[in-house]
Amino acid sequence: MQVRVLQLVTVLAALVSWEVVARAGWVDPLFVPAPSAVARALLRIGGTAFAGLGDTLGKTAVAYALSVTLGVSAGVVVGSVRLLRDVMSPYVIALYGIPKILVLPWIVLLLGYGTTPAVVYGALHGLFPIMVLVMGAVRDVDRTLVTVARSFGATTWQLYWKVLLPAIVPSVLAGMRLGIMFCLLGVLVVEMFAGVRGMGYVMGSLANGFQAPELFAATGLVSAASIAIVLALDHLNDKLSHWRG
Amino acid sequence: MRVLWLRLGLLAALLAVWEVAGRAANPLLAVPPSAVLPALRDLLLLRSYPELPASLWLTLREIGAAYMLAVAAGLGCGFMLGMHRLVGRVWGPMLAALYAVPAVVWYPSLMLFFGLEAASKIAFGFLLGFFPITLAVLAGVRQVNPQLVTVAHAYGAGAVTVFRRVMLPSMLFTLVGGLRTGLALCVIGVIVGEILGSKAGIGTLINHAYGLLRTADYVALVLVTLVLVVGSDVLASLLERRAQRWTE
Repeated sequence: MQVRVLQLVTVLAALVSWEVVARAGWVDPLFVPAPSAVARALLRIGGTAFAGLGDTLGKTAVAYALSVTLGVSAGVVVGSVRLLRDVMSPYVIALYGIPKILVLPWIVLLLGYGTTPAVVYGALHGLFPIMVLVMGAVRDVDRTLVTVARSFGATTWQLYWKVLLPAIVPSVLAGMRLGIMFCLLGVLVVEMFAGVRGMGYVMGSLANGFQAPELFAATGLVSAASIAIVLALDHLNDKLSHWRG
Repeated sequence: MRVLWLRLGLLAALLAVWEVAGRAANPLLAVPPSAVLPALRDLLLLRSYPELPASLWLTLREIGAAYMLAVAAGLGCGFMLGMHRLVGRVWGPMLAALYAVPAVVWYPSLMLFFGLEAASKIAFGFLLGFFPITLAVLAGVRQVNPQLVTVAHAYGAGAVTVFRRVMLPSMLFTLVGGLRTGLALCVIGVIVGEILGSKAGIGTLINHAYGLLRTADYVALVLVTLVLVVGSDVLASLLERRAQRWTE
């Protein structure tokens, strides 16, 4: 309780001192507008911004669905077959580690401007963290569980469906929480680099137009949306772990 | 041994597929590896981009500045949040929530504020590197067994000794991991910043090659950038191993 109050106080104090500093003219309002100006700007660009946010979140949802499906299935397959895992894991780790931005120009060359490159790049961004986590989880599944299931005559299908998948659920959820951020990041980067719609494009053009209050408002909106998404996923995660016992 | 051969085989197969597909496809869009090699040679001999060394040097300096700022601020904030229980409980979750925002959201504001030159790249690299370092320090401080600190104090150890002999060894592993992640993210931040909008640096060259559809040069520049990325991580991993040896 005390913690919540203090957090609220922190935010309010930051906003008030920012407002005071901006009003007193210690910072150039061209670059750092006061919170009140940002709030007014939010009303002004509300329509555009929400449309852009909807567009961005739509692309993110498709990219996310792709990267979760591909990441989990590839992670399970590569993680559970010993030889495949030994051969592939250095490549997967390397692909996870390298900055994806380096292939972005090429993706844009191939796929052009618009929705497709954003979805592809977002999915590419989210795929590897999920895959790496799932691969690790499958590798670390308790061997005794597998041996016992085998000796009780479980088929390969049952082994995957009844033993492996339930065992990796926590890692899959952790991967999904990480993945959504990567997907959203990827989509926003493409929109800034080669967008014609969406929040990244809106923010990019506001920055180029030196519309600082509107830009701050848009930034706040995207930040709030992504924090809300992550908190919702965390909440879901808690619910699921209660349900699993 | 067999695994190693299979790995190399996989790489060779991928390169072969790339070669065949690249030759068949539009040369503006896809470049086979055989065409990348001459481009790489031209690049390294400074024929295609004579400004390559200057650009690399600028990017390296941006990374260095961003990382130094991130380490200083990250250590400072991390220890402040870790040492004061209440401060940590109030601000720690807020920091974690901010970390959940895709960092690129801040980049247009940084560009507006700091301009197209190096400062906005340094600021963005700093922002990316700051969070993992701070959170690692915070996690590290919480790992330290408070009883050890109490005992050390009781035996008359001063603050510096407690830090050096008790706290640092037990949190070093997490701390160094955070510093390594921070460096990787600083590098990525600077490169992303340069590609999204800049006037100089390796990202500008990449954008230039891409914009003029000089795809072979683009691939060669990406390879050079990868050397920088991998090199920085190898350096960090060497330091990490050194730190681990020191704890043992």
